[in-house]
Amino acid sequence: MGAIELDGLTKDYGDVLANDDVSFTVETGEIFGYLGPNGAGKTTTIRTLLGLLEPTSGTATVLGADVHDEDALIDAKQRIGYLPANLGFNEEVTGAEVLDYHESVKGGDRRDELLGIFTPPLERPIREYSSGNKRMLGIIQAFMHDPELVIMDEPTSGLDPLKQEEFNEFARNECERGKTLFFSSHVLSEVRRICDRVGILRNGKLVGLEDIETLMDQGGKRVRLRTTDEARTELAALDGVSDVQTFADGIQFIYTGEYNTLLRELGTHDVREIDISEPPLEDVFMHYYGGDGAGESHQEVQSDA
Amino acid sequence: MLETARYEMSRRFRGTVILTIGVSLYVAFIVWYFSLVDASAYAQIAESVPPAMREAFGIQTIGTIEGWLGGQIYTFVWLVGLGIYFAYSAAGKIASDIENDRMDLLLSFPVSRSQLLLEKFASMVLPLVLLNVVVGGVTYGLVLAIGETIDPMHLVLAHVLSIPYLLVCAAIGTVLSVLVNRAAVAERAAIGLMFVLWLVESAIGAAEEFSWIQYISPTHYYSPTPVLIDGTYEVLDAGILLAGFLGLIIVSQVLFQRRDI
Repeated sequence: MGAIELDGLTKDYGDVLANDDVSFTVETGEIFGYLGPNGAGKTTTIRTLLGLLEPTSGTATVLGADVHDEDALIDAKQRIGYLPANLGFNEEVTGAEVLDYHESVKGGDRRDELLGIFTPPLERPIREYSSGNKRMLGIIQAFMHDPELVIMDEPTSGLDPLKQEEFNEFARNECERGKTLFFSSHVLSEVRRICDRVGILRNGKLVGLEDIETLMDQGGKRVRLRTTDEARTELAALDGVSDVQTFADGIQFIYTGEYNTLLRELGTHDVREIDISEPPLEDVFMHYYGGDGAGESHQEVQSDA
Repeated sequence: MLETARYEMSRRFRGTVILTIGVSLYVAFIVWYFSLVDASAYAQIAESVPPAMREAFGIQTIGTIEGWLGGQIYTFVWLVGLGIYFAYSAAGKIASDIENDRMDLLLSFPVSRSQLLLEKFASMVLPLVLLNVVVGGVTYGLVLAIGETIDPMHLVLAHVLSIPYLLVCAAIGTVLSVLVNRAAVAERAAIGLMFVLWLVESAIGAAEEFSWIQYISPTHYYSPTPVLIDGTYEVLDAGILLAGFLGLIIVSQVLFQRRDI
């Protein structure tokens, strides 16, 4: 049984269909990234999993508890940590008082250990907190009762790059300890660094469910080289070439075809400089979203050819 | 159990102490003022006031210390002022937690919605007890200090009977709090509603053809002035208030249980 199972989950707000028949399973012990741009419906799924929203149809279970069953869900919540996207704390209380309150309700065995990694100013009132400090306090409360499953909505927003990196390392360690992490993000590079698998949500529909490696493989390589005009035209026409951008004495494209074919083709031309790298995940993402950028570049390929 | 109630009480402790001091100072002022003015003057004031106002402010017998306190403190502060305060304060609780995204975290706790709501409500016990005990004690001491006497049992009774009334006010606020998404709206609605209910009872209820309307207002079931003067009260009134309180709490539970956050 998966840590989280969604089965045809649908949430209709009347004017917006925030989740449309979403089904997937998050396995125990994995880090699952829930990707999509703002407004795709990620938060709706998360809030349904926690019993804050009643699904219009379909169902979901977290740690085996049906979200429709309040008693079962309450039992499960003892083993769940939650980090919401917008952290609401009472403004006048101190960070320490917030943690005291959370500890009194759900436990706090790992509080001190977590305070060694994340360092919000505990003695200050929340109203003086920066968004990064609030986020750190949120991370501590989400993990301090040592839950089996932690559900996080945009966990690193507001953290500075150094703390983000520490969080990523922390998340990987938690996963090694056997925890299941489910988190939503619209920052693709972050997902790539720590996730095992991703689900991609677009306009409330699940449009992709992939291992992160498959996702990256499908994204191909970004090839950038300086060469002759004639070579540029021929390369652009090659199978598996997309997203072509030409500039003064060079060309850049995404290559998803056979590597040997590309290398043989390159061997017949005068290559002055070459750089083959992984494409930015934003481009990989375009593959699923079929956004404007990708559409235009296909046009470009056709007109060039 | 009760972690949320404790947390909420510790948060509102300072504010409650300040409110208690404020009300106590007002009581001191009222009692001191009574000691200055000659008793016969009050009788004239009472007679010159229109009957509707006499009813509204409970100033039938302001020539005695009991009647004076009944009008100035227990009607004006307890019935109207604290009634509005309890409704207002309860109205802000759930609505502001939802509005400011705190409810997300609170409902991630292994605690039922119903328990959370009850614990939030239970934190109102702090002002309820502190105000009644401290202000009651202060009032008694000050009355003795100006050389007047008041039956301590009547005073205690006036305070005890205010508890069901204030619980109803807080429960009205709680219903508004789970019904409305924005704290400011819930709070203003609570103030407006309490004020209207008081007017309905005291002003409109005095007109004969609309006398039935006074029964919908909780203010109708708490009359502190007669209690202070001769200890008369209706047990049924307190019973009606408690029943209303339970009914409103159940309504707020059902509404909170069913709503999306």
